[in-house]
Amino acid sequence: MTAITKLKGFATAASFATVLMVGGATYAAAEEVVLRMAVPDWPPTRIMKKFFDEQYKPPSGNKVTLDVDFIPWPDFYTRVNASLTSGEQKYNMSVSDSQWLGAFVEGGYFRKVNDIIDADPALKATMAEIHPAFYNAYSTYPYTSSNIYGFPQFPDVLVTYARKDVICNDEEQAAFKAKYNEKLPCTGEELDNMDWGTFQKVGEFFMRKKGDKLAGQVLDDDFYGIAYQAGKGYDFSSMQINGFIWQYGANIWDETKIPDGQAEGVVNSPLAVKALDHYLSLLKYMPPVAKTGTMDIFKSDELFREGKLAMNIDWIGLGEASLDPKTSKVSDKLVFGMTPGLRGADGKLIRWNNLGGQPFVLMTWNTDLQNKEAMDFVKWWLSPAIQNQFAAGGGQSAVKSVYTDPKYVTYRPWNRAWAASLDWQKDVWHVPQFFELLTQQQDQFDLAITGKQDAKTTLDNIAKFQQDLLKNAGLIK
Amino acid sequence: MNSIAAQRPIPALMAPAPDNWKLAAIAGVAVSAVAIAALPAAASFWITGAMVAMVAASFVVNAYRRHYFGGLLVSPAIAVLFVMNIFPLLWSLGLSFFAYQSNQQTIRFIGLGNYQKLLTDNLKAPELWANLTNTAMFVVLTVIAQMVTGFLLALLFAKQFPLRKYLLILVLTPMMLSVVAVGVFFSYYYDPTFGILSYVIKAMTGGEQFILMSNKTGAVAGIVFADAWMWSPFVMLLVLAGLVSVPKYLYEAAAIDRVSAWRKFLTITFPYIRGLLMLALLFRTIEAFKMADLVILLTKGGNGTMTISYHVIRIANEQNKTSEGAALSYLLLFVVIVLTNLYLYLANRRAKGS
Repeated sequence: MTAITKLKGFATAASFATVLMVGGATYAAAEEVVLRMAVPDWPPTRIMKKFFDEQYKPPSGNKVTLDVDFIPWPDFYTRVNASLTSGEQKYNMSVSDSQWLGAFVEGGYFRKVNDIIDADPALKATMAEIHPAFYNAYSTYPYTSSNIYGFPQFPDVLVTYARKDVICNDEEQAAFKAKYNEKLPCTGEELDNMDWGTFQKVGEFFMRKKGDKLAGQVLDDDFYGIAYQAGKGYDFSSMQINGFIWQYGANIWDETKIPDGQAEGVVNSPLAVKALDHYLSLLKYMPPVAKTGTMDIFKSDELFREGKLAMNIDWIGLGEASLDPKTSKVSDKLVFGMTPGLRGADGKLIRWNNLGGQPFVLMTWNTDLQNKEAMDFVKWWLSPAIQNQFAAGGGQSAVKSVYTDPKYVTYRPWNRAWAASLDWQKDVWHVPQFFELLTQQQDQFDLAITGKQDAKTTLDNIAKFQQDLLKNAGLIK
Repeated sequence: MNSIAAQRPIPALMAPAPDNWKLAAIAGVAVSAVAIAALPAAASFWITGAMVAMVAASFVVNAYRRHYFGGLLVSPAIAVLFVMNIFPLLWSLGLSFFAYQSNQQTIRFIGLGNYQKLLTDNLKAPELWANLTNTAMFVVLTVIAQMVTGFLLALLFAKQFPLRKYLLILVLTPMMLSVVAVGVFFSYYYDPTFGILSYVIKAMTGGEQFILMSNKTGAVAGIVFADAWMWSPFVMLLVLAGLVSVPKYLYEAAAIDRVSAWRKFLTITFPYIRGLLMLALLFRTIEAFKMADLVILLTKGGNGTMTISYHVIRIANEQNKTSEGAALSYLLLFVVIVLTNLYLYLANRRAKGS
């Protein structure tokens, strides 16, 4: 800033002050504050904006506007990344995938908020109410450290979507029992208790051709039992494969063990290879698009809504469309459960999964006033009343007093699986090298999914790449 | 107006006149150098900008006083070209010699390090090479498909037939669609469960759902077909322009001489359209070299369809490795320049030979 503009600014401020003194100081406190926010364009953020406009009254008495940029999902990362790295400082807040924290904290864009939280006991209490898996994934960087950056905007987990009309049909139930000598899961509780073995049988059992019978009706198109994500784009296979790897007791490169945690030997351990093999072995029961590497979370959701599947494992975040008769052919036939798990030696299910959803964050260039208003907004957003309203409108809450409330499960049919799933969530890396790690891994998984290379080679390649990259970055000693 | 009479004498080197561009340039460089060395970046940026503006103004005054009106008229275009093209190009060339990531606040000079890493690193070099060969494959296949289809369509539309005008509009439509729309359209077209291609093949063979995109051959065929569908009309339009410009009397004379159809084509039609064909070939080759959009939409680079452009997008935009992306872009630019020059050389040699 030049001296002249400074002088001008000073003159403006002085004249403004004079006007205030002359006109009396009655309205001196009310200021206009605009919070510009980048969010992905989907129901959880649309609801937030709606609630803000309809209900939010800033405790400061200022006039606060939430100016939201709704960005389509496929462009979201590119747009936010371009805005932040170009230095235009356009946004004061942003929704961010938890894995981006490292890249954008190290870049100097996301603001550490420990000072604000420490100064506000009420907010500190709210933060303590957030489920630890989500608190660690959404708020902390380095992962599980005491540095706080984000707050849950929309927490999410994977659940099993299923078709009641198909799996609860008496003929199908009897035939399944006759074939496998076990009960075909039908209710939510039975779905919760389903392991990968049963899931596989459901897949095999419901692979039907056009002209075959399904639940007493002749099919006019091929039908499939099961689906989960197996796409090359973004993280559309890692998010499922990570679950398998953790359930088998293997691990991905562990960022909490920097700098001693290795990639080679861990990422491609024999157990991890077994886990990946298990993941790959189920693909043959899925719709043929799984063989092309384009069966992402949107494709399997579409197949399910079009009535081509008995069961699908997908994020809750995509669930609203399946309940809406306008976008779903199966809207009135749904039942939801937790995702399948691996049956342990004690007969109990091991069901580690990769969590989903997004936190929102503040930027380093915000003014103190903007930060204050933003934090008031965050407090309001995380208050039980609003979190309950959000959940009732199709959102989810990681705040304990909200999700343990008995009415929580009545909001949406999948909410019954929510609270029990939370303890089984882990998250993928948050380091700045996240995108490099992810793209290479997705490329390699795609080769395995499309049948071009076996599980061992795939994990060996991933481990070698990660070891090299992380060593150069100083994250592995 | 007599331009010589109106000309003023050129000012002496050190004379401070508004049209003394030499002095302005010397002063500009000197002041900028001092500013860059002594002042913080934010201030020296604006001072250097002001110096550039001053030199440009002295150029304009000089051109006006000496009546170089041609130059004056072209200068806005050159200024835009410099600001929008040449400056960023040079800037990114400079960046390619540094270790710089757009999401980090540090920068370090590493000379040819980025280039060396791209060409010799045992993880990066094979990837680069695979992506280059994929790109070459797409260039050859898509350009051949478009040239042949476009040429045949042009031969068809050069004749008059009923509804020609309306059909022509229909055939030109794909070229005007957005690539995203075309990509989404074809991803459904090829989808094994929802797609019409799978539906038709299944109806004919009575077998399984047809999965086009599950191997390299199918995925490449799918992308090449979509690209040809979109861009053949462009080739057709250029060739058609050539075809309608052939004078009728040449064909009439050939008819009197009872020249065969093939010979008519070779000696009358072809020379008229050759230039335009070459132009279409050049345009489409350059475009095909940059193909990323359809690949992203249809396969995300899977099944051996990763192209070099998509690779650059990933490195420079998604992973924020700005300087490595710049280095890769320059390698790519080098290849394109060599190819284009080779092509122009061949085209010129042909022109001289005939």
